[in-house]
Amino acid sequence: MKKFLAVVKHEYKKVVLKWSFLIGTLLLPFLAACFAVIPAVIFSLEGEPTRIVIVDSSRRIEPRLRENLSTEKIMEKGRKAANESLSDLSPSQEEQMKRGAGQFVKGFVFVNHGVQNQTPENIRAELTERIIRDEIDAYLFVPPDIDAADAKFEFRSRKGSDFVTSDTFRDALNEAVRSQRLADANISETVLKDLSRPVNFDAKGMDEKGEEKDSTGTFIASFIIGLMIYITLAIYGQTIMGAVVEEKETRIAEILFSSARPFELMMGKLVGVGLAGLTQLAIWVVSATAIIAVLALQVDSAQLFASAPTITPLMIVYFLIFFLLGFFIYASIFALIGAMVTTVQEGGQFAFPPIMILLVGFYLSFAVIRDPNSSLSFWVSIAPFFAPITMPVRILAETPPFWQIALSIFINAVAIAGLIWLASRVYRVGMLMYGKRATLPEVWKWIRQS
Amino acid sequence: MNEKNVTLRVENVSKRFGDFSAVEDLSFEVRAGRVFGFLGPNGAGKTTTIRMIVGITVPDEGSIELFGSKMSSELQNRIGYLPEERGLYKKMKIADQLRYFAALKNVSGAEADKRIDFWLDRMNLGEWKKKKTTDLSKGMQQKVQFISTVLHNPDLLILDEPFSGLDPINVEFMMDVISEFKTQDKTIIFSTHLMETAEKLCQDILLINKSQKVVSGSLREIKESYGKNLIALRASGGEKVLEDKSLVAKVLEHSDEKEIHLADGASDQLLLRRLIESGAVVTKFEQIEPSLNDIFIEKVQS
Repeated sequence: MKKFLAVVKHEYKKVVLKWSFLIGTLLLPFLAACFAVIPAVIFSLEGEPTRIVIVDSSRRIEPRLRENLSTEKIMEKGRKAANESLSDLSPSQEEQMKRGAGQFVKGFVFVNHGVQNQTPENIRAELTERIIRDEIDAYLFVPPDIDAADAKFEFRSRKGSDFVTSDTFRDALNEAVRSQRLADANISETVLKDLSRPVNFDAKGMDEKGEEKDSTGTFIASFIIGLMIYITLAIYGQTIMGAVVEEKETRIAEILFSSARPFELMMGKLVGVGLAGLTQLAIWVVSATAIIAVLALQVDSAQLFASAPTITPLMIVYFLIFFLLGFFIYASIFALIGAMVTTVQEGGQFAFPPIMILLVGFYLSFAVIRDPNSSLSFWVSIAPFFAPITMPVRILAETPPFWQIALSIFINAVAIAGLIWLASRVYRVGMLMYGKRATLPEVWKWIRQS
Repeated sequence: MNEKNVTLRVENVSKRFGDFSAVEDLSFEVRAGRVFGFLGPNGAGKTTTIRMIVGITVPDEGSIELFGSKMSSELQNRIGYLPEERGLYKKMKIADQLRYFAALKNVSGAEADKRIDFWLDRMNLGEWKKKKTTDLSKGMQQKVQFISTVLHNPDLLILDEPFSGLDPINVEFMMDVISEFKTQDKTIIFSTHLMETAEKLCQDILLINKSQKVVSGSLREIKESYGKNLIALRASGGEKVLEDKSLVAKVLEHSDEKEIHLADGASDQLLLRRLIESGAVVTKFEQIEPSLNDIFIEKVQS
């Protein structure tokens, strides 16, 4: 036991007293913040005004289109879209980005082009020429009769891949044509607008006690929790692998094995690095709580937290339990890989499958956030390998009955026992095998023999 | 032999890896307070045997007894093992690693610090205490590894090729420490394939080849049992006598004398008489012992 504690202390200090630990502790929250902000920033940078020529021989569509494309109109639409998206439970990310970008679009500049007595082919050639000379960015051909069966609105643009601009333009055009058709049919636009205004859709989730909760904050918080567990598991798993490979590569293993039992050494390593991971999580939790507390003191920001999910101390305990379960599952896999290979680089190739499993678990957590009570959510939140990420996310989104949490803990604990059993057998033999990487059949032989 | 004086008893030990038999039915004893040379060519099974002695692996058959009881993790604390392939944590301070290795042998706290300071000073490494392994030369690293072997003041020291890569000054230095341990009645098992070093250091030897025991016993006795048919000769004349196959098996020319290997059953006294009768002037005629190297080569090649 004394030796086991010595190993724990050694491994803990080895991780925590490194610069990378301090940098990682500070950097990860920063990176997470960047992930949240960067897409919006990038789209806000976009939007040089699009210079456009509208060829409308009927002169019926162009005025309305111009009005719809004015900066004020677009801004107003963007605001409306943003308001809608806040109450939207799970907008696809593409939609969200487009809406966000809609708020920043720079608008259109209309360029005049004389088209007296020219054939459409001539006009097209001239406009294409102007686009090539970079005088304009796009042109639109409005058909003479918009209601003809083969009427086609030809939109040609240099910025073909700029979906924000072309979507905005298409929406504005549709609206302009619709307005014109309404006018043609003698229907008042204001009356129609009044009649087709959207309902006030008040969507809120409910927790198990029947209390209302806003789901936007839950979505974000669940995502953050899932991401945090995913990243820490990946990082600490690979830390374990590095430590194991170092002792094998430098032949320190031989000295260690002549001083303590291999099982003690391996478990000491897992526990020591696991405690280092817990330390980092604790720093994040405490500092996040402190920041929220400080912000909450300012009355203005009270609104900011109106939609934040309530995180109870019990939830934090669950998160820590599932972090530890995940840590021991992946750490024992990485320890096993470390004992098989001869260099860290070689280990990197073998680390790919467990990282992929971890990543799948992270993606599955989106399905869990969408519908925490589906049978898919149930199965992935008790399955070993996935549960350490999906269960905390599910607990946050909508806490399942206690028996499901207990079942998940039990199943994962059994998986850990099995994996540690396997890993310790591979560790015992593999750590003393120098020279070449073990093949899978060899590893299987070690497991059976020892 | 008194039970108490036996540090290590290996009885009928075998170890196989799949179809390959690394050690086969090996038995020997190591007496307390002796330097025991464990010799053999590369791949003879030395490292496998040592790993079983220090409790890294267990024998498939047979038993190993240390200090009168069966091998256990408690007994590991009384062994200091310097493996042939050895290393240190690259990016860790010297004192920290030594503290860790000491803790794994149940020596910790102030006691460990005291011993670390003592040994670092003794090895002239005092200033390097707070440096990392990568800052040290190869020779210094080997001294640090040696310190980690003796920090817990073991009763049995197992050194596997301890001098490989050391410069002569450090070899001498290490030799001093080893003889110091000897005077404290500690047992030293010394594994090597360098016969000259073994001959200088060891009192008892065990020679193994192809996973089996070839020769064992005290170095003195072994040499004596081989030492009756070698003659160092310095003489002028008498060449005819040396060509007599019934007397002389082989003649090796050294710089200023000849090494005569007598034929089986031939008498050295008869050879001397014949030489003098032939008119040769004999200035040196001495029975010599074979070197351990000779014994090794003879045994391993046969």
